[in-house]
Amino acid sequence: MSEASIAACVKWVDLHPGVDPATALPEPSAHSWGFSEADRAALEVALRLAEARGTEAVVVCAGPLEARRCLAELAASGPARAVLVEHDHQSGPGTSGVVLAGVLGPRHLDVDLVVCGDMSNGRGSGSVPAVVAHHLGFAQALGLIELDPGPGTLRAVRRLDGARREVVSVDGPAVLSVEGSVAALRRAPLGAATSAAMTSEAVEVVRTDPHHAPERPTRVVPWRPPPRAVPAPHEADAFSRIVALTGAMADHSPPRSVEGTPEMAAELILEQLRTWGYLARDGEQT
Amino acid sequence: MTARGAQGNEVVGPLGPTYPAISFETRMDSVEFRVHERPHIVVDDTICRDCSVRGCITACPANLFIPTSDGGILFNYEQCFECGTCYLVCNEEGAISWSYPEGGHGVVFHSS
Amino acid sequence: MTETTEFDAVVVGAGPAGAAAAFELARAGRSVALVERGPFPGSKNMYGGVVYGRILDTLIPRWWEEMPVQRWVTRRQTMLMTGHQALTIDYRTDTWGRPPYNGATAYRPDFDSWLADKAVQQGATLLCSTTVTGLLVEGGRTVGVRTDRPDGDLRAGVVIAADGVNSFLAKEAGLYGEVSADNYTVGVKETIALPREVIDERFAVRGDHGVDIEIIGCTGEVPGGGFLYTNADTVAVGLVLSLPALAAGGSRPEELLAALKAHPAVAPLVEGGEVKEYSAHVIPEAGYDMMPELVGDGLLVAGDAAAMCLAAGVWLEGVNFAIGSGAAAGRAAHAALRSGDTTAAGLAGYRTRLESSFVLADHRKLREAPHLVMGDLAQRQLPGLACDVAEAVFQVTNPDPKPGLVRIARKQIARHGLKLPTVARETIRALRAYG
Ligand SMILES: Cc1cc2nc3c(=O)[nH]c(=O)nc-3n(C[C@H](O)[C@H](O)[C@H](O)COP(=O)(O)OP(=O)(O)OC[C@H]3O[C@@H](n4cnc5c(N)ncnc54)[C@H](O)[C@@H]3O)c2cc1C
Ligand code: SF4
Ligand code: SF4
Repeated sequence: MSEASIAACVKWVDLHPGVDPATALPEPSAHSWGFSEADRAALEVALRLAEARGTEAVVVCAGPLEARRCLAELAASGPARAVLVEHDHQSGPGTSGVVLAGVLGPRHLDVDLVVCGDMSNGRGSGSVPAVVAHHLGFAQALGLIELDPGPGTLRAVRRLDGARREVVSVDGPAVLSVEGSVAALRRAPLGAATSAAMTSEAVEVVRTDPHHAPERPTRVVPWRPPPRAVPAPHEADAFSRIVALTGAMADHSPPRSVEGTPEMAAELILEQLRTWGYLARDGEQT
Repeated sequence: MTARGAQGNEVVGPLGPTYPAISFETRMDSVEFRVHERPHIVVDDTICRDCSVRGCITACPANLFIPTSDGGILFNYEQCFECGTCYLVCNEEGAISWSYPEGGHGVVFHSS
Repeated sequence: MTETTEFDAVVVGAGPAGAAAAFELARAGRSVALVERGPFPGSKNMYGGVVYGRILDTLIPRWWEEMPVQRWVTRRQTMLMTGHQALTIDYRTDTWGRPPYNGATAYRPDFDSWLADKAVQQGATLLCSTTVTGLLVEGGRTVGVRTDRPDGDLRAGVVIAADGVNSFLAKEAGLYGEVSADNYTVGVKETIALPREVIDERFAVRGDHGVDIEIIGCTGEVPGGGFLYTNADTVAVGLVLSLPALAAGGSRPEELLAALKAHPAVAPLVEGGEVKEYSAHVIPEAGYDMMPELVGDGLLVAGDAAAMCLAAGVWLEGVNFAIGSGAAAGRAAHAALRSGDTTAAGLAGYRTRLESSFVLADHRKLREAPHLVMGDLAQRQLPGLACDVAEAVFQVTNPDPKPGLVRIARKQIARHGLKLPTVARETIRALRAYG
């Protein structure tokens, strides 16, 4: 088998986590585990790139052993190899990227292009592509919405804020992440799908050494919401000022569901934003 | 019986108003559909123009057959239960081409 | 990669019928593919809500210890309803809350996945996300199926069509006569979330015990019926509606359902709950009289695909009939494969097996029942008459003296525009039908 040089990284996620309407608590689904549209698109892109370049594609998933069957089914659509890196997502943010980089790197699969889905349904931190690129020393082309898999320099279109677009060309080793609309994964032929349904053995399982806990990304920066000016409290003593500032003793309105016409809904949302102070009331300065 | 509900107005039972009815959109939002790009049901509404019964309009539980002002039918397959009601009640040969969506797509029930 | 596209048997549809068929074939050592178009078994399937599990005794000993159950039904009610009245017959027994139990509420995605997994444990190959698009026929004989996957032909010695009520396979094989909307109803249902304790209180049950209510007279101008079942932390409320009447216009399914939920006998049970899932599915209503040929060359039909659902008023049972017929199909297919004759003659043992089991025995016995239940008397007159008689009996009319029962009955029968001989005749007909 020749060295695979293009990898698709996919994450095994709950595609339809329920929310108990009575308690508003999340409920894991029993049957809906699989791979997101974006991850499936990533595999399709990897397959097309491999075909165009005459190399092999490999699909890699960092996840628990239970993911093996789903990965086997996914792999029936064509990659030369499928690898499951046993990994617990609870190990902390960024750790999946680190274990993936370990397997994708020169000591193991030695790939030179990595394709990821741009977003997982698994409420992850979204850091996998960047962490993989960092550890492998690869370039990054993230959030792609169009991609020409033809041979030669790879040209792709990236989504920027404010509906702007950026055309990127990728030379040499890189991590790409794609949106689900970039490509629809081809269907597995019947024979391969049947074989995958019979046994998941085609999926290689790699165990990461538990004694070498994956190294954490060096600097974790917390997400900072945009600031909002709050008037200084006027209470006399420090305690009352802190209470006023934190709103600790104030009544909190519980979430509510409202139904109505779109106009009514828009008015309700505006009114709520005014109540919270995000919008000025008529005749009031922000 | 006095209750209405399809349009989302309040349900009034013989006991008086009981609880707000949900709108049809909210009702359908409770269902998961893994929509495929190929429509699995196609309605030829040139045939519908000659149809006097138009049973599909009231019978389709997903309310997908919408009469247009010029006598046609507007149909969208995306929120379909794949139940079969429409082709069973349709009396005009050839108006509905009915098939199942590609494997893995279409409606997905979870708590039914 | 090794590729397998040939099996002893292919079973189409991983509903209860298909899973049972694949289970029996795999248990007998046959290679069998169980092909399902949904992403997992049960994903396309909805029903009212109760599985009668005793048929599982033959497949899975002590099935009740592992079946995914919501609640065990220990309380069964039949409700006759008019716009403002309701007369309920309420039966309860704790015996049904102990092994071997009677009925259990369960979600089909859970139940069907569990049963299909049992077949897989016996050695069957479950192939999901694969739609069968037609039969492979050679020399007039079914030799496999076509699927919508690339290179999608799947060859087999026997094909079992367990593809549900719309069975395009049985129709393609010419096993059905003319298909008429008159023989079908559509079921619509809301699964409504309510806290467990609230359900326990409202339905007066405890722990994993639950309630099953069948309702007649709640569908307005459209012949049909209603149901209400308790799950662990949801209640399922739904309607079964005659297709031709629904198509004739007037009411839409969700309007009739909203009216049922607002009825004074039902509103207090479902009030305040949130709709968790809305669903719909067609039912083969006419039972024995609409059944297709069950056997073709290389082909068997089981479950709803063969119209084996029993919809007869107080009974709405299909899952047990599907399992019973599916298991029989699996055994008959194994026997035919062993004897090397999988023509219609070689597979004829299927029908014999069904005749000697409850599947065809019940259907033949209750042949008239579906027509009776959907008929005018049961739909339009019985609920009103029964409720009015109850009202006259229970209402205290002082200072007038109490009227005698016979007088009440006479008076109400006349008030409802009925004649005594008609009532007598219909009663005898009903007794015969349900005899
Ligand atoms: C509203 C309602 C209430 C009901 N209430 C009850 C009740 O309380 N108790 C009870 O016992 N029964 C009830 N039933 C009846 C019961 O649901 C059915 O009788 C039973 O599901 C039949 O099982 P089956 O395996 O034959 O078919 P299904 O359960 O319909 O299974 C058929 C399977 O085949 C698959 N399939 C179809 N076509 C294809 C294809 N071309 N390729 C691949 N796969 C395919 C489908 O996805 C499906 O999984 C109810 C039905 C309805 C609609
Ligand atoms: S019943 Fe058939 S022909 Fe008539 S309007 Fe509906 S789809 Fe068209
Ligand atoms: S199959 Fe059922 S839900 Fe889908 S369009 Fe027809 S009637 Fe409506």
